[in-house]
Amino acid sequence: MKFIIQFVAIIFSSHLLAIFTPWYFIALSAFVMGYFLKSNANFLAGFLAIASLWMFNAWLADSSSPVDLADRVAALFSLQNKAMLYALMALVGGLVGGFACLTGSLLKKPAAVSE
Amino acid sequence: MRNIKFIICLVVTVGLIYLLENRWVINGNPVPPLGRFLDPFSGFWRNIQPLEARLPGVLNLPGLQENVSISFDSMAIPHIFAKNNMDLYFAQGFITARHRLWQMEFQTHAAAGRVSEITGAGKNDIFLDYDRGQRRLGMVFGAKRALESLAENQEALISVEKYTEGINTYIASLSYKTLPFEYKLLDYRPEPWTVLKCALLLKSMAQTLNLDDKDIEMSNTLKLFGPEVVELLYPDREPIGDPIVDNKDGWTFNNTIPDSIPMALPDDLVKINRLPGRDPTAGSNNWAVSGDKTATGSPILCGDPHLTLSLPSLWYVAQLNAPGISTLGASLPGVPGIIIGCTDSIAWSVTNAQRDVVDWYKISFQDKLHTRYLLDSSWVQTEKIVETFKVRDKSVFYDTVMYTYWGPIPYDDSYRATNNLKHYALRWISHDTSDEFVAYYKLNRANNHAAFQSALDYFSAPAQNFVFASMSGDIAMRIQGKYPIRRPLEGKFLLDGSKTSNGWQQFIPNDQNIMVRNPARGFVSSANQYPVDATYPYYITASNFEAYRNRRINSVLSSADQIVPADMMKLQNDNYNLKAEESLPFFLSVLDTTKFSTAEKEAYRELSKWDYYNNKNSVGASYYEAWWDNLMPMLWDEMRQENVTLTMPTTFNTIRLLKQQPTLGFFDIQQTSEKETAADVIRKAFTFGVEDIESWKEEHASVVVEWGDFKDSYIGHLMRLDPLGVHVKAGGNHDIVNAHGRTKGPSWRMVVSLENTGIKMWGIYPGGQSGNPGSVFYSNMIDRWVNGQYFPMLFMHYAEDGRNRIFYSTQLKKQE
Repeated sequence: MKFIIQFVAIIFSSHLLAIFTPWYFIALSAFVMGYFLKSNANFLAGFLAIASLWMFNAWLADSSSPVDLADRVAALFSLQNKAMLYALMALVGGLVGGFACLTGSLLKKPAAVSE
Repeated sequence: MRNIKFIICLVVTVGLIYLLENRWVINGNPVPPLGRFLDPFSGFWRNIQPLEARLPGVLNLPGLQENVSISFDSMAIPHIFAKNNMDLYFAQGFITARHRLWQMEFQTHAAAGRVSEITGAGKNDIFLDYDRGQRRLGMVFGAKRALESLAENQEALISVEKYTEGINTYIASLSYKTLPFEYKLLDYRPEPWTVLKCALLLKSMAQTLNLDDKDIEMSNTLKLFGPEVVELLYPDREPIGDPIVDNKDGWTFNNTIPDSIPMALPDDLVKINRLPGRDPTAGSNNWAVSGDKTATGSPILCGDPHLTLSLPSLWYVAQLNAPGISTLGASLPGVPGIIIGCTDSIAWSVTNAQRDVVDWYKISFQDKLHTRYLLDSSWVQTEKIVETFKVRDKSVFYDTVMYTYWGPIPYDDSYRATNNLKHYALRWISHDTSDEFVAYYKLNRANNHAAFQSALDYFSAPAQNFVFASMSGDIAMRIQGKYPIRRPLEGKFLLDGSKTSNGWQQFIPNDQNIMVRNPARGFVSSANQYPVDATYPYYITASNFEAYRNRRINSVLSSADQIVPADMMKLQNDNYNLKAEESLPFFLSVLDTTKFSTAEKEAYRELSKWDYYNNKNSVGASYYEAWWDNLMPMLWDEMRQENVTLTMPTTFNTIRLLKQQPTLGFFDIQQTSEKETAADVIRKAFTFGVEDIESWKEEHASVVVEWGDFKDSYIGHLMRLDPLGVHVKAGGNHDIVNAHGRTKGPSWRMVVSLENTGIKMWGIYPGGQSGNPGSVFYSNMIDRWVNGQYFPMLFMHYAEDGRNRIFYSTQLKKQE
């Protein structure tokens, strides 16, 4: 349950931040949710949250037009097809989200430090 | 322990972000910042444009005097209605940038020799070498000269300035999210636009069209083989075809007679690895038929300029309307106004005039420091300009270019030193001050022949064959440019630069340029052929003139009557191969049919029944072209020499010599011991041609070889990014009216009917209005263009005209 709450919270906060901040603010939201909403799989929560957030929004943009720019970009990156581009994107966002969330979860509570 | 883990994770996270937020070069291949580029919220995904994407209904913009209305039709062509000239050009700049900003800026970088700022030096310094070449050709020098004279014409200057302001207003509105695709991919940002950039684009077009000569090749030929061979293989005028203007004995003006001082020629044999100049296989067609020959009784004007095809497309179609101006047609993104098109009462189009306006002068330096050179028996100071190259990923590179009385010295010990065309100065007409901006400004407002003529008086380079037609019934042709008055054979060879008397002394006055109005035959036409009949008093030379398209066009037009626009479209897409008609029967007659292999038998059968049309499904055309492509280099193997640069004679002259002088010594293949004649080489080329076809079939696992597949035409992206290009199966070829070769072809096809009830235009080009590869308008016209179809262009007469064909409108409001 904790995992799902953390996962959903990262998706929502990242989406909100993405509207007015650069992409790497996904790390901030994942970090914060890692810190406040610890689960037993912090890295996975961060990874999956960003990966699915990015995949879904990329798919929204991609399916809005008959033009296959994603296919062309895949070819520019010497990838065999669009699916691999999606995978690469998921990996890029996922790794940052995963490590940020893990980092947040590893940060000690200030209270514990002062005692 | 937990603290250590935390620190490790923090470092990894920050490291990842750093890695993914920056551009890297891996094995010489640049990789964009992956995080930023792939982020679906502002990365490249945002460049995918839904079909219904549009500007807001109202846009508040600083810099406008009054409101401007822009309507986009179903092809995304903007129809701009402004209340004054300033707002008109501001809006044109703004809208053009919105569709084409990356292309515009990249082309100015390419013209100015600044590509390596974006791409880095490239493998083997290929981009840096290109950039240095552009600087050494004096492209920026020429553009600055153009601006010097622009400063003297207030109206035209303002049009360029407001256009620039419009572009900059668009650039200022951009965030990373809204940047054009290529900026994201290559990871850089647009810089402010300048009037110099507008001038650079015109110079870049000049480079494509008039920076070509064969002075080096002709000088070498002269020294190796003598003047008779020069005349035999490379005559100034080939014995064929209709000149563009035939006005025999009608040139009644008092022409200037140049002095008869014999020219001094340097004694060098030259090998050169050339800088990019004009491509000799590029060309264009244009013509106009008078009302006597059309079904409506009104003139029809047609034009299709042939250039290297690329995406984003070379042209951007727009309609411009303000008090005193109503014009529609193809514009060059980055240059204000319309370059080829119509006003509400006249139409015009251009083909290249080919004339030689490039010379090379050998400089005699005083010593190895090159600080002084000899000119009219005194030592003159060399001007040394240090060019700075801010090469990406590398330290700044400096290059010193020497300028002389004649112009810059492109090749020296520090640049392409393997060339021995060292210390020759380039004299190029496009380094002179000129007024093309003014010419277009006036042309876009012309409403009759007199206004057309006075607009063209401002046009100097690149020299063009301007075809004209008006609603009042006139048709005309004018070969306009600034041409030096040449002594016979001047300009054909390298020259001695130590005497100013070897230079261009005077220019042909505008009113003595070749022109004609309403000729008796009822049409005017040009296709890059020789311009004029033999009684024109000035000497004319060029690197080449066309021999086939012009005759095909004229034969169709002479016999045509009751012409309708559809006939003209058919002619623009005509695939008849006149060259094949004139050569193939002869080629086939010398083959030895008894010794054929199976494949050769089939080739012979296909060729014998071929109708000479290079249609996309034609099999005969594939065999013929494969044969021809093997034949030319075998015939002229003498022209490929290790240490001397030579050139092959023209197609027309080759076929003529094959028929008339079959035992010409040049036809012998040097590598073989036997002595070949024309027939022997034709036979060998046939065997090789058939082999090429057979290996193509094997490679493509195909039993037939259709011309469109074999030719495999390609419209590539400007930066040669393969996945952004498009392959098409199309007919045509060079030397054919539908001059669509592998990478070059009709870059814009236009037919205009100048009817009293209102001007009508049809047009098409291989691409689309948008420069964004994520837009449907990036390449939406290509299929129609391949199939010879056209779009009827909307000519709006007022801002609310043609509502049913308008996709949407935007109001640009002045910001209070």
